[in-house]
Order: sequence, then C-alpha cells, then structure tokens
Amino acid sequence: MSLAINARPLMELRLETAATLDVGSTPDRTLTIFPVVGGSFEGERLRGKVLAGGGDWVSVRGDGTFTLDLRVTLETDDGGLIHMTFTGVRDDAHHYFRTAPRFETAAPKYAFLNRLLAVGIGEIRSEGPVHIIEEIL
Amino acid sequence: MNTRLLMMMHVKVGTLLSIGGVPHGVRRTALLGGGAFEGPRLRGTIIPGCSTDWQLLRSDGVLEMDLRVTLRTDDGALISMRSFGLRHGPPEVIAAIGRGETVDPSSYYFRTMPRFETAHLQYSFLNRLIAVAAGDRRPEGPIYTIHEVL
Repeated sequence: MSLAINARPLMELRLETAATLDVGSTPDRTLTIFPVVGGSFEGERLRGKVLAGGGDWVSVRGDGTFTLDLRVTLETDDGGLIHMTFTGVRDDAHHYFRTAPRFETAAPKYAFLNRLLAVGIGEIRSEGPVHIIEEIL
Repeated sequence: MNTRLLMMMHVKVGTLLSIGGVPHGVRRTALLGGGAFEGPRLRGTIIPGCSTDWQLLRSDGVLEMDLRVTLRTDDGALISMRSFGLRHGPPEVIAAIGRGETVDPSSYYFRTMPRFETAHLQYSFLNRLIAVAAGDRRPEGPIYTIHEVL
C-alpha cells in the first residue's frame, strides 16, 4: 500500500550572490561558481542570516539542464550555526527548479534539522535566488 | 509542494555486512537480494549484485542510508538510482524493526530522496527530477512509495 507524502514549511531562504566565476568546460562538465556573500532565512521555527563564504557550484549537463551543489553557513538570530548543503536540478525548459537541502548543527535548539529531509522550490528573482524550503514529514 | 506517484519499490534484503564502529558512528552495508518497482510510467526489477544500501547509525540514533541500486525496466533500459535517507523513531519501534517485526510505518520516520540517471530516451525525464520517498520497513525488506516532486 502506498504511503502519503506530506510536507510543511521550514523556511524561505534568500541568497545574495556575487559575480559568477566561470570555470568553463572541464573534462566532466561546464562549471560556473556562484559565490554566496550573504542573505537571510526565515521560518516559523528559525530565522537569521546567511554568512559570506558559501557558494553554489553549478554544472551544465549534456541535456541542457543545470545541477546545483550548494554549501552555505546559516547563523540564527540567537547565534546558532547551521551547515547547510543542497544538490538540485534546474531545468529552464520545463520551469523546474527543485533542490534537496540537508542541515547539520550542534545547537540543541535546532537539532531537529539533523533529523529531517527537505525539498526546496527555487526561483530566480531580480534580487537573487530564493528557495522555499519544506520539511518532508 | 506538490508530488505525484512515480513508483512503488519492493526491496528484498540480502546479506548484511556489519562493519562496526567507525569515527562517525556504526557502519553496516546491506547487500540487496533484488526487488521490483512499478509505477504509471515505468516498471521492472532491481538487479542484485550491484545494488547496496550503505548505512551509518549516527551517535544521535539516526540511521543514515545511502542506497545505490541499478534498475532494469521491463523494456530493457538500465537506470542508476541513488538515494540518501534518514530513519529514526521511538527506541521501542526501532528495536521491534531490529527484531524483524512488522510495525506501523507511521510510527517512525523513514524518508529518502532518490535521484536517477539513465541514457534511455524514454526514461530521460528521470534525469531531471527530484523525488521523495516514504519507507515501510517490512521484515522481508523495505517498501518505498516514491513520489516525483512536481
């Protein structure tokens, strides 16, 4: 018997990116790096800012779609540090931009993040990329 | 978030290799004995021998799963599937699973995020999607309800 898949909002993540670094065509892929220099996140259970020093390693694949590989550090408004990564797919031809975020933290208040899987719906807005992230229940 | 059923996957467990305590937790490797999958757009079998779940029991009691399987559709296409997953729950429920009992899948958390790769044109839509699965650990092996994230 099939099981239901339910989700609930976790956060909206807004990223500030700097000028891209076009690495170009490597043996595997065409690689572009989007440095993350800041941003913010907000949800019912956590909010704060994105620290500088992260980035998204974006590859162009043979079928014209992009794969994403992001790592950033989040700092909550009460000082907790959260290591966040995601991989994802962006397929402009089908207006599809989805990610699979993962979180790692030592802050007891946010330990629930260590135990959940999540899905992000991405959008490119004029101010930068925005990801609406939901927890998979 | 909207999803739709991609497939149901029935996995048969095979040999379990208990590697033991490693720096990150307790590691074990579960070789799959095969299995089958079926959904509206694809169906077929899991090829044993190159299908394995690499598991790590973390110090916080969460089981991390890194499943890598090769699927063969009923029309002969090969699909490589990887999924990262988490399983955790009340100690008594996890202990019952460990004893090989059937437990209510809603009594614990068992979710995975499958990704697919294929060269076969008919199934190339799989290359471009993110999926989410809910697992039900039966004594004979897990049953996954796999949904495509729309």
